[in-house]
Amino acid sequence: MEKNNMPRVKVYSTSTCPWCTKTKEFLKENHIKFEEVNVGEDEKARNEMFDKSGQFGVPVIDVNGTIIVGFKKDVLKSALGI
Amino acid sequence: MHDTIIVGAGCAGLAAAMYAGRLGLKTLLIGENIGGTITLTDVVENYPGFVKLTGQELADNLKKHAEAYKIEKAEVKVTKISRNHNCFLVETNEGQTYQGKTIIFATGTEWRKLNVPGEMEFANKGVHYCALCDGAVYKNKVIALAGGGDSAAKEALLLSQFASKVIVLARGGKLRGEPINNQRVAQNPKIEVFTNVNIKKIVGDKIVKALVLDRPVKDNTTLNVDAVFIAIGHVALSQLAKDIGVKTDGKGEIIIDRESKTNIHGFFAAGDVCDTVFKQAITGVAEGVAAVYSAYTYINENEFICPIGNEDLIKAKK
Repeated sequence: MEKNNMPRVKVYSTSTCPWCTKTKEFLKENHIKFEEVNVGEDEKARNEMFDKSGQFGVPVIDVNGTIIVGFKKDVLKSALGI
Repeated sequence: MHDTIIVGAGCAGLAAAMYAGRLGLKTLLIGENIGGTITLTDVVENYPGFVKLTGQELADNLKKHAEAYKIEKAEVKVTKISRNHNCFLVETNEGQTYQGKTIIFATGTEWRKLNVPGEMEFANKGVHYCALCDGAVYKNKVIALAGGGDSAAKEALLLSQFASKVIVLARGGKLRGEPINNQRVAQNPKIEVFTNVNIKKIVGDKIVKALVLDRPVKDNTTLNVDAVFIAIGHVALSQLAKDIGVKTDGKGEIIIDRESKTNIHGFFAAGDVCDTVFKQAITGVAEGVAAVYSAYTYINENEFICPIGNEDLIKAKK
């Protein structure tokens, strides 16, 4: 994939959440670069996550504006185009 | 055709896979989430051989042990199990059909719901079921914890690491956790326990704001909270087994004997989905291993001619 075609991916997570870990592992395995924010520590990120997803379950993954709640491999793959 | 198809990849399924591989059975382990529910447990202190480790570490160890032998894995969801002569067909959400001589069913459980107004409406908006997953989102907030068993005690202890206050609401007259965890709860300055109380309703606007209780707590039947975590037990995920006639008890848990046999020949079960009273990783692992040995014996004692399986069709075409 060309560099400028790489999807913009942001992962809202916490330090303890097992599904967040699985999500990040999945992205790394597929060589997808992502920004990670810890909503357990960063109140602004917590509010941003709620504004985008309307809920407080983690992880929330923002793929080019597509908001995915939870680690759903199929949905994530489709959003990433992989 | 596989000798055994293990449905569910939690502790019981992984242990079964390890032993099936060890016994040289052609093994397929199918599960959406390798590791299962134990990965949602913060600390495990009751698994012999490990004084203390995280649930994820235990799952990783079990997985590594299973993978030390030749087994196949599929990280998909099983949607149907059916009979084909004396074999079993297993269909998945990704369209595959596998055929096995035996099934080891270890699907585990899902969280029991409170079934009160507001629970569904505020799901993930203040109503949660897993402290390790979502607890950290409520740093310095007030959290209620519904439940009175050992899981509830452990969830309350974990939540106290994040919350400013954890209010435990137990339906019964006292906490039913293991004494060591009850003691930890009692000594934790952030945790307050109320017994003989039920949540009638969960209320809020966009997010949870309060709980309506069936008796006053702190002089009021409305308790203001930022979130409520629910830990009132589990429900067996036994429907796929029931669909082919596997017997369950009144709670929907699969009835097994000491050899992990069900009422259906070739269909074995293990772990939290079964009717065993004490459900722990250790007991599930033991049942998984017993199930494999039973499957191994059953395979050796029977002949399997199942002509309409996919592999046979492929062979016929060739």
